Amino acid sequence: MLTIALDAITTAALLFIISSGLLIVFGVMKIINFAHAAFVTVGAYAALVGARLALPWVLILPLAFATGAACGALTETTIVRRLYRRPLDAILATWGLGTVIGQVITLIFGREVQFVQAPITGTAYFLGIDYSAYRIAMIAAAIIVAVVFTGLLNGTRLGLSTRAVIMNEMLAQGLGVDSARVRLVTFAIGSGLAALSGALITPLSSVDPNMGLPWLISAFMLVMVSGGSLLTLAVSSLVLGGLQVVVSTFVNPILGGLTIAICAAVVLRIRPEGFARA
Amino acid sequence: MPEARQFGQTGAASIDFSAGLRITVLALLVVGSIVLAPLLLDTYTTNILIRAFFVAIAAITVDIVWGYCGTLTFGQSAFFGIGVYALAIIFTEYGFGSWQALLGIATAIIAAATVAALTGWLSFYPGSTPLYASIVSLVVPIVLVQILYSGGTFTGSSSGLVGFESFDLEVENWFRLAGLSLAAVATIALIIMRSDTGRLLKALRDNDERCTYLGVDTSRYRIIVLVLTAIVASLAGFGYAAFGGVAAPENASFTFGTRLIIMVALGGRGTIVGAIVGALGIEVASAYLSGSLPYVWELIIGIALIAVILAFPDGLVGAARQLTRGMRPPGRSTTIMLRPIETAAIGGTESGTAIEVKGVGKHFGSLSVLDGVEFTAKRSELLSLVGPNGAGKTTLIRCLSDGRERSAGFVAIGGHAIERLSPNRVVQFGLGRKFQAASIFEALTVAECLRVARTYRARPSLIATSTMLDLPPAAISVVERSGLSERLGEEARHLSHGLKQALELAMVLSLEPEVLLLDEPTAGLTRAERQAFADILTSLTARDRLCILLVEHDLDFVREISSRIIVLHQGRIALDGSVNEVVNSALVREIYTGQQSTTSEAMP
Amino acid sequence: MTSRAFIASLAFMAATGSALAADPIRIGVPVGLSGANSVVAPSVVQSAELAVEEINAKGGVLGRPLALDVADDGSGAAGAQKAFDALVFQKKVNVLISMETSAARNAGLPIVARGKTPFIYTSFYEGKSCSPYLYVNAWVPEQQVPPIVDYFNKEKKASKYFLIGSDYAFGRGMLAFTKAYIEKTGGKVLGEEYLPMDGSDWTSIISKLKASGADAIITSTAGGAPNVTLTKQLRAAGVSLPYGNLAVDEGTAKSMGADAADIYISASYVTGIDSAANKAFLAAMGKKFGADLKTPNDLSVPEYEGVYAYKAAVEKAGGTDPQKVLAALSEVAVDGPRGTIKMDKQRHAPLTMYLGQVQADGSVKVIQSFSNVDPGAQCPPKS
Repeated sequence: MLTIALDAITTAALLFIISSGLLIVFGVMKIINFAHAAFVTVGAYAALVGARLALPWVLILPLAFATGAACGALTETTIVRRLYRRPLDAILATWGLGTVIGQVITLIFGREVQFVQAPITGTAYFLGIDYSAYRIAMIAAAIIVAVVFTGLLNGTRLGLSTRAVIMNEMLAQGLGVDSARVRLVTFAIGSGLAALSGALITPLSSVDPNMGLPWLISAFMLVMVSGGSLLTLAVSSLVLGGLQVVVSTFVNPILGGLTIAICAAVVLRIRPEGFARA
Repeated sequence: MPEARQFGQTGAASIDFSAGLRITVLALLVVGSIVLAPLLLDTYTTNILIRAFFVAIAAITVDIVWGYCGTLTFGQSAFFGIGVYALAIIFTEYGFGSWQALLGIATAIIAAATVAALTGWLSFYPGSTPLYASIVSLVVPIVLVQILYSGGTFTGSSSGLVGFESFDLEVENWFRLAGLSLAAVATIALIIMRSDTGRLLKALRDNDERCTYLGVDTSRYRIIVLVLTAIVASLAGFGYAAFGGVAAPENASFTFGTRLIIMVALGGRGTIVGAIVGALGIEVASAYLSGSLPYVWELIIGIALIAVILAFPDGLVGAARQLTRGMRPPGRSTTIMLRPIETAAIGGTESGTAIEVKGVGKHFGSLSVLDGVEFTAKRSELLSLVGPNGAGKTTLIRCLSDGRERSAGFVAIGGHAIERLSPNRVVQFGLGRKFQAASIFEALTVAECLRVARTYRARPSLIATSTMLDLPPAAISVVERSGLSERLGEEARHLSHGLKQALELAMVLSLEPEVLLLDEPTAGLTRAERQAFADILTSLTARDRLCILLVEHDLDFVREISSRIIVLHQGRIALDGSVNEVVNSALVREIYTGQQSTTSEAMP
Repeated sequence: MTSRAFIASLAFMAATGSALAADPIRIGVPVGLSGANSVVAPSVVQSAELAVEEINAKGGVLGRPLALDVADDGSGAAGAQKAFDALVFQKKVNVLISMETSAARNAGLPIVARGKTPFIYTSFYEGKSCSPYLYVNAWVPEQQVPPIVDYFNKEKKASKYFLIGSDYAFGRGMLAFTKAYIEKTGGKVLGEEYLPMDGSDWTSIISKLKASGADAIITSTAGGAPNVTLTKQLRAAGVSLPYGNLAVDEGTAKSMGADAADIYISASYVTGIDSAANKAFLAAMGKKFGADLKTPNDLSVPEYEGVYAYKAAVEKAGGTDPQKVLAALSEVAVDGPRGTIKMDKQRHAPLTMYLGQVQADGSVKVIQSFSNVDPGAQCPPKS
């Protein structure tokens, strides 16, 4: 019983980390970045490179973040910037970008599945049972991500400008906020978060050019259901992620994989704002 | 029968003949090449093309749903997959024979239609967004593939189904069957998309809200389109599996669905031909290149997609059209005849109540935008609604036209209570709404805009483009007075601001409304245009006995034409009386001068 | 291998092939360059290349050089259709020699039959695939499963098994046989769980495993990523039960690092086989590919031997006529790194099987070996 609960919480933590980057981008720019999966993969490969260079994990994680942020900044200036008025086209263009990134990674690193050693191995004795220590560490990681970014949003000037742009871009511009810069920084941070999450999940799964894809749909649905708030995302991740684990365990892992997508679609139909407060 | 007035260039007779000849020659060429080609091509190329033809049919359905109706759909692959698996499962379970084949076709059609109806119900409802519809279209193939995975030996799970016996045709005949099917689907699609119905679909894509306010049930149209295209895609899948003898989950996956979109995007969306070009091009090139350059080919496709979205949104066919623009005769030489309708005396009592509003309120949480609004208006009244910015005027207009908008109270239009009905139903009670920013169909011509506006009153043809447009006299007079009659063949996006406003007014009048809601119609108009507008409004109330409710900031304009003025202030009616009463009222002066109000420079 | 090296080796082969004047015999190799098998595909191609190079250096087959045509089957049915089509109808190859997923193989067989092309299948698989055009020189469950189960029963005193697999023909077929064999030898199967081929989240299955109280695990996943993710997640969850993996190869095991330690495998090839033929083979591979060498394994070595088998069959048949070659394939014996192999048991081959245990450094220690294990009645003639 406790195992299932821990499975649920750790899965939710993973989903939260992976979706947070997508949420930040969607909240500010109302654009869905379908290259998000590719950025997750970029982060994983950055971690791979870091591991090969025998860097400590304390350095690997920021390296992954920085790589993702750089890719994001480049993407925003070259592609996304021109598509603000065409959100559906932005989905397509970023999908194309995702394909390109995937192929470039394949050309550089090859198609093989690669592996990165986990920084924390084995099990930990947690609340009375033996559970994967790394998965438990994911919970901590998710909390740190949430705290840092909520802090950024609420405690810094950039955060204030970002919130202003989210609420009313024209008004913010009129008040002197450089909304173009806000968008650029937001996209970069969102992509960096995606890459960071990719680095974090490598010890649990393999590193190959298409690893990000299964997460894309779940992350996408969670973001849609969460409106614009990190807190709602955390709640959605817990609820839907938990549901996914329960269905996987008691019914069928295949149907479990569908739970998030189906539940999110139904929720959005009934209540277009999702779980967000009106 | 009133005389029809003719507008637009003539010379129709000679053009029709040569167009007919051109089409016949083209058809003969296409059919001929399809019949003869297999004799000239080698087996391998023939195989590839057969598969490509079926995929191209699916791509056409994607173009219809996305290019024409505006829904970015990743899900047509699911319907293709349904056809594939319908055939494979039935032939595996029951063997091959004529009743099995019929059962297979029936299953493919019914299953696809059911799933499409469900998907449509989920995606298209009043208030849904294109983004949500895309999301649903993304989820459908994913769910389907997972269902296939969990089907054990019944669906073949990850391996798919192979080895079932299928139709025994020569490869050459498969080619002819597939090729002619593609030609048939393409022809039908082109005919429908060029007809008035096709224009309506484009209008849905361009401006869904305007369509709703023209009385069109946009959700129903979208669902019908989805169901019909799903059936076609499913049959294409059926053919694909019948030829290939393999059913694999990849045939239904969202990756394949994305591939279809890429084909349409690269070929040119909204052209049908573009879908065919894209599909055939990518399928054939994939077959030849992916063996030797598997990674580079995918890279090329990704880059091409980005390039097309950013720089060439109209794809290959669009670019080709741009290049050949100089070679084709300019403009569209069509003859459009406008014919005034003999509008019968509008039923109802002489002095019927056109608008009835009782206790209407609108709240956002604790913020109250409208409170206790109450008034009635009769036919032939020209009622102006004034008040400072933020008083709630546009909100009131919304509450009158959309039954779901108000938080409290009662609204009736033309004697019918609007309850919680959506705008397209309210319009059917006789309401017409003109928006602040001219809400028209930028990509359609003036004549086409008017044709679409008549959809609710006169069902559009599925195959023809009308050359005769029946409009109410009020609409025709607006068209003539504004000078639009000289520009019926021009695309609406090229009109000046004033002409766009006039076009929108003509479109709304085409509904033959009894009640007209106008939101700041004179904003941005020149003096002459404003005067013309005033004349039109006055004649509408006098001659056609419309009830007009006008939101305006230009108090001179208001004073000149209104029979009655309602002043709205902070969500409540401050004053409701004749022009003189209101203009001379001290309360009104206080309201206006005590605020930072802008008058005639009011911008939307 | 990188794309550049791949293209370079293709060019090299084309050059070698064209150096001999006569019309080449074309060997088609449909293999999973992308998808689940992309991990092992490079090693398979390398084996084929070495065999072709060696044979051409000695004068080819009946005076004609061999040429390779490689096509990507995407590791699945849809891709296999396209690859087989290209090889059989466009390149018009004389024979197909390759390893593939069962999904791909099943999709390719109808095309093989239509094109009347012999197909030497060099992959271990779930058995009972009986096209008259199909010859198999790799193992089937009757050869691979008993060593592991017998060892667990006897040495590890296991009696309660938990089975995990990928949901497709191979995964299900192998585990069905395993379950039957376990029950025949007095054991019990407490659970049998599957994920789709592309699944990577084994969390709930692992939780079920731990809750079941099983004392041994046997897995049969698709090669590549599923193997890796399952092993990693098992180890991360602290599972250290005797673990028999029916579908992992030495190369994958090596790159799994410490997580792979203690996995038991049963294979017809391990690099540690102590024979002159194997040593010569490994030396030649090392010399040809140097640093780019992918560890030869139980999926790639049969490819090497398959090419030689075809050579022998063509020489015996006196030409490439498909019917004659097919008849000859069951009569010729090939000496290779795995010993002497003859596909004479209903188009399948008796093989020497090795039970091995993966060590912490990724190498495989041979615990027991069994000679000449019969494949059983794979394709009994219809009576």
